[in-house]
Amino acid sequence: MPEVNTDKIFAAFLLRLEEVAKIEDFDDIEKEFLGKNSLLSEERKSLSSLNEVSRKKYGKLLQDLSNNITSKLDEEKTKFKSKFFIQSELNDNNDISIDWYKNLGSKNHVLTNVMNEVVDIFAAIGYTVSTGPEAETSWHNFDALNTPDWHPARYESDTLYLDNKLEKLLRTQTSTVQVRHMQNNKPPVYIVAPGRVYRSDQLDATHSPVFHQIEGLAVDENLTFSDLKGTLEYFVKEFFGKDLKTKFIPHFFPFTEPSAEVLVSWKDGEWLEILGCGMVDPNVFKHVGYDTDSQGFAFGVGVERLAMIRYGIDHIKNFYENDLRFLRQF
Amino acid sequence: MKILKSWLNDWIDIENISNSEISEALESLGFEIENKKELNPNYENIVVGKVLEIYEHPNADKVRITKTDVGNNIYEIVCGAWNFDVGAVVPVALPNSKIKDNFKIDKRDIRGIQSNGMICSAAELDLWDDHDGILILDEKLLPGTNFSTIYSSNDFIWEVGVTPNRGDCMSYLGIARELSGYFNKKLKNKKTNLKPTIANILNADSGKIKECNSYGSVEIENFNVTSSSFEMRYRLTQVGTRIINNVVDITNYILYDIGQPLHAFDRDKLFGTISVRKANNNEKITTLDSQVRKLDSNDLVITDNDKPIALAGVMGGLETEVSETTTNLLIESAYFDKVSIMKSSRKLNLISDASIRFERGIDYKIQKYGLERFLMELKDNQSINYSEINVDDKGNLDNKKVILKYSEIKNLLGIDLKESFIKKVLKFLMIDSELSKESVKFKPPSWRYDLDRPVDLIEEFAKHYGFNNFESTLPQGIHKNNKGSYWDLKSYLSSVLTSNNFQEVQTLSFVNNDKNFLFNPEKKYVQVFNAIDQSSKFMRSNLMSSLIDVYKLNYEQNNLSNSYFEINTVFDTSKNKNYEEVPNQNIVLGFLTSSNLSNTDTRLKDQELDLYYVKNILTQLLSTYDLEPISKPGFHQNYSFSIIKNGQIIGHFGQLATETQMTLEFNNEIYLGEIYINKLNLNNLKEINYVPLSQYPFVKFDLSFSVPIDLSAHLLVDEINELLIENENSIEIFDDFQQENSRNLGIRIITRSYEKTYDDNETREILMNISQTLESKFNITLNSSKND
Repeated sequence: MPEVNTDKIFAAFLLRLEEVAKIEDFDDIEKEFLGKNSLLSEERKSLSSLNEVSRKKYGKLLQDLSNNITSKLDEEKTKFKSKFFIQSELNDNNDISIDWYKNLGSKNHVLTNVMNEVVDIFAAIGYTVSTGPEAETSWHNFDALNTPDWHPARYESDTLYLDNKLEKLLRTQTSTVQVRHMQNNKPPVYIVAPGRVYRSDQLDATHSPVFHQIEGLAVDENLTFSDLKGTLEYFVKEFFGKDLKTKFIPHFFPFTEPSAEVLVSWKDGEWLEILGCGMVDPNVFKHVGYDTDSQGFAFGVGVERLAMIRYGIDHIKNFYENDLRFLRQF
Repeated sequence: MKILKSWLNDWIDIENISNSEISEALESLGFEIENKKELNPNYENIVVGKVLEIYEHPNADKVRITKTDVGNNIYEIVCGAWNFDVGAVVPVALPNSKIKDNFKIDKRDIRGIQSNGMICSAAELDLWDDHDGILILDEKLLPGTNFSTIYSSNDFIWEVGVTPNRGDCMSYLGIARELSGYFNKKLKNKKTNLKPTIANILNADSGKIKECNSYGSVEIENFNVTSSSFEMRYRLTQVGTRIINNVVDITNYILYDIGQPLHAFDRDKLFGTISVRKANNNEKITTLDSQVRKLDSNDLVITDNDKPIALAGVMGGLETEVSETTTNLLIESAYFDKVSIMKSSRKLNLISDASIRFERGIDYKIQKYGLERFLMELKDNQSINYSEINVDDKGNLDNKKVILKYSEIKNLLGIDLKESFIKKVLKFLMIDSELSKESVKFKPPSWRYDLDRPVDLIEEFAKHYGFNNFESTLPQGIHKNNKGSYWDLKSYLSSVLTSNNFQEVQTLSFVNNDKNFLFNPEKKYVQVFNAIDQSSKFMRSNLMSSLIDVYKLNYEQNNLSNSYFEINTVFDTSKNKNYEEVPNQNIVLGFLTSSNLSNTDTRLKDQELDLYYVKNILTQLLSTYDLEPISKPGFHQNYSFSIIKNGQIIGHFGQLATETQMTLEFNNEIYLGEIYINKLNLNNLKEINYVPLSQYPFVKFDLSFSVPIDLSAHLLVDEINELLIENENSIEIFDDFQQENSRNLGIRIITRSYEKTYDDNETREILMNISQTLESKFNITLNSSKND
């Protein structure tokens, strides 16, 4: 019986595998050893001429060889591929230290962030945002807020007016929103009013003709000085952190009595004033048409000041120059 | 106001109270501490010297040589000042001492003569500005005396803010009064017996007007105008007042000491009766600063028989000023109406230490005491004679009695105060009071104008109780985490823009006329009457000019970005629909982006943005909207659109006019616009209309039509949507190819039935229907179709 030596063929196959240089070589090897014209196929054709016993025996021998070649080929092919991909990945050498996708400005202004945060803090205890016009009447900005004629805030050196009779002006404080809100809403009132205010100051490191305040007002039954104190202590803790100490010192605002300023103990132990507050003056209630025995408190906080304290910003000018070198830091 | 510890100690014994305790007291009494500082100048090796001889310098004309006794030595010292003679007692900085600015004094050769130190002026010792030359000291001082023993060398100074309601605290007496309550220490008494020795030769009265409640005066003869005492000069300098002469210095000193402004006239220049009246319109007076002031009937003037002699409460007249040759004086101590003085001082732009105190209100019973204090400061001056003090008081001022119910205290402060505490505070504050079971009836002292209502006294109780001793409670509103529609809308719009690489900015609201005119030539602009800067006296009528400025700044700074937005108010003079009486103002969202980044590298070069990019941003912001071409100033002829939502114009956008772009020297096209916030409704923007998903396979057509140049492609899309209204559709323009006058439009349609899988016939039918309908309705031609 003309039998081929399957071991020799397999050995030849293994030798060929060692010569593989590229993935296509596997196809050639497969063709060579398993293809139509391969020795194996030729031998298979000759099987029919053998008797049944020989045919079965020789057939199995050829089938085993075929299986061995196929599985070895697959195994080697997989190995080769994975090695090949690894090598090709090793050839990918982009330098990750370069920032091709630049940091474009894509943020809210730092003042907006601070206002959002303050609004969130107060919204959590039931305060809603209220707004009012920036170009206001002197009545809403001063008279209704119990500011006497002689008060220095009314000076043209402090306040920007829109007419020569000094009846219209650019609001100098967001407290105007208190007045507008109470004129249109009955108690209970829990509002915060973030917004722009204006003063007659040149833009420099510590002054700006435009800046932002957040006014707060609560009018409800039985609100007392203790409620004011607790509310602002809550705010300071939420905004600056639980460990900060606060103190209240007496102050004067025409529209509150008693009036206070809130100071916080900052890093180096220095006390920084961060907001003004007080119990709403009965004259304010009278002007907006509330009962004069209404009870409530109001507070006002400077947004730029909060931002400057928190981030250590040195120039108020930075907020309004809009240089991206500044804006994208926050 | 500046408070010197040594001066304050004249009124209240605080020498032994630590500076930090006093700081705390001041703060808890409502005086904000703006500044505080220890004063301990270094006078080491600076001593009193007596000049024994003076002779010429052999090699220099401008300096002299002195022989000066400095105690244990007699030194030769070269000196350049000429204001002293042999016998003068002067401060000498000996070798190895330091003067102002830490300048070191040592033995020094001055043109061949060794100078053993330096004879000093007040300025050189950092005492006060003095142009008279060397500081002449008291003749009685012994040579060699350490200079620090004659000058209060260790002191402490606080600069505190006095709130506008507390005019009574703008003096040492006022501050001491507050501290005496706090520390429970009695005020010291500053009184002596005065013995007038001459009769008045002038009359003085408070005139017929109510604006002068009282006018007091005293006449002094045989006065020698010279410099004031060493201590007075020191104190005045420390509180920031210029040293003039003993008359003016004492008036200033009394003003700081007790809060009563005084004015000194040269009596020999006055005639007849001194009185007060309103000025005549156009009446003129030359004030001490040599300015001619034109007055009107709102101003108060002091007059004698002939003429106005002072602008009451604000500044004296030049003609009757005290000079070096003055020997006889008339000192004025008056009470003028707060508002009158405020108006005059504001109108004339003349703010003085006196006017500030009159404006805030001085003690209405202190006029006589002011003159007594003036005379007391002269008690060592044996040569003078003075008259009886004459005060003409109309008696119109008297603080009213107020009743405070205890229940009001409890209501406002939330605490019950003990009667003993109430009594104690009333005593501190020197308030006359009668206590009953339910209330206290009180009459504030003559210096307190701020206690005319029950609540005013409650504040005093709260202050003395200690703000930090109150409990803290946290009341809460009912609607939690409800920020209101405006804030929610603003936050939503910001979040869409920031997540698309838009940077929010905050720009100033003041602009020049051009910036408004560029985009809003049709509007009238709101103008600031007393603008800070004449070049930007208008309130902006649009945000776009501001955004262009921001773009330009960052472009020039080479900062890498090109997209900005701002949400703020714009103004014009039209009628305000929301708020009567004030100019029209609307909150606007302004946005700007450019066709390319301001500064690009090779990899980002191809990231060009265009109008369609901005349109996509609008879609993200507004969900659905329509655009209508409009002609708008500042914008491109064809690329300028109104944005329409729910049938109303809610904003506009487009490309910046090419000419403007070129004028600004921008290489990139600028796309910009505005959306009127008040016309938006957040629910409307975030509305969700769920479309169920079809379970059947899609059919897809790519159609290419020949269409006119000016056809709005959106119309075709709408029409196809209408034809396939029963289906789940995705219809998009995938190509728009224009060449000369021909234009091909590619439309991709992906459609699914909710009921079945389309067979080939049905698919063909759909295609036929669409192409025929579009061809006939829009007069266009189907070039090709592809179906897969």
